[in-house]
Amino acid sequence: MASCLPAVAEQLLKDLQKTYSEKSQIPDELLIALRFIFGSCTLQALDLVDQRAVTCVSSPSGRVVFQVLGGSGRLYTCYTSCHYCPCPAFSFSVLRRNESLVCKHILAAYLCQAMGLCQQEQVPDQQMTLILSGRAELDP
Amino acid sequence: MVDILSVVFRRFGSQVHASGDMKLSSQPESSTLVVGDENINRSLLLLTAITAASEMGYKVLFFTPNQIQSLPVTVQDSSVSLKPDSLKKIRFVYPKTLEELLEDVASLHELVPESAPLPSLLIVDGVERYVRVLDRPQQDSQSTAAHIVALLHDTAAFLKARSEKSQQPPCRVIVSYQPEREGRGGDVFAPDSILLVLERYLQVRCNLHKVINSGEAQNEWLLHLSGPGLQVDGYGNGEKCLGLQWRVVMQPNGALEFRPESAPKEETLQVQHSDCGNET
Repeated sequence: MASCLPAVAEQLLKDLQKTYSEKSQIPDELLIALRFIFGSCTLQALDLVDQRAVTCVSSPSGRVVFQVLGGSGRLYTCYTSCHYCPCPAFSFSVLRRNESLVCKHILAAYLCQAMGLCQQEQVPDQQMTLILSGRAELDP
Repeated sequence: MVDILSVVFRRFGSQVHASGDMKLSSQPESSTLVVGDENINRSLLLLTAITAASEMGYKVLFFTPNQIQSLPVTVQDSSVSLKPDSLKKIRFVYPKTLEELLEDVASLHELVPESAPLPSLLIVDGVERYVRVLDRPQQDSQSTAAHIVALLHDTAAFLKARSEKSQQPPCRVIVSYQPEREGRGGDVFAPDSILLVLERYLQVRCNLHKVINSGEAQNEWLLHLSGPGLQVDGYGNGEKCLGLQWRVVMQPNGALEFRPESAPKEETLQVQHSDCGNET
């Protein structure tokens, strides 16, 4: 499915998870591979990882979603099982031009998940509904 | 999802042509996009919802901006056992705006603590009416379309995971879309940007082309199934098949009949293209 990662990217993230859990750093060859697969948004995504900008939000129902704090201070909601981000780069580079697999926010969520660097937050079910529908981004 | 369509075709197929040995299926996570004019789209989705509820026991959520006034004639006239309990499995939801649709779908996870069965089929009829808004730039329309189907997909994945714990059927998604120029004779080669986005997320496509004979539109459609999520057993020793065609005929009383089309005929070229024009 086009809205999921290709096998080569999945394998790369598995390698990252294994290596980072053993060495607590990303070797150069993995960084080069990440840049090769994900393109120019890789460095920006790594910046977001450094800033601990990704939060894994969950609610009592068991629903989980990622929220990524962008450089402008805006929160971007990214789903866990399907690629979508409300940022302009996702609309332009991914959906319209089909040039990139993902935007920097989705890649940051993947990287933080692989490296175990996601912040964790619990919210009530009703708040989760607002986040999923995009209302929480509009009415903080 | 395609297995439900398969039941619809068999149930409402002509007795002469009914093909009992063919089995349509799709990958478990596959969702279906129905592309055609809004009337045939809605009729097909209603038949699918009723079949899923009455014959497969699925709980169905049917999202549409317009109130459903009556059951399809096909169902009223057929021998389908329409028990009130079966119809109660279908819940019609009428979100009027994009925001209402997103909130209705996003709130489905709140059903989990309840003891009632979770939905096994999410249907959105006429997604174009939520996506196309005057003065909305093309890029925003694409993002809006992606938001709706990504949320549906993520919600179905969540409900599927919860259903497996309680041994309920997995949740599937079906979305119908009417291309912008449908019925207006626009440029058939111009790509439909919204359709391209919908295809990224929905792995099985069900095209409905209206048949035109001697320049006149008939009450017939050619239904063509395709997409990477589709599998057809019963043809070619069960090997993967890229597509399958059916002829959908609307009888004078409004009832729909499905006839399998084994091979493209001359007439199939005389169709009113209702998609982005990348198929001939």
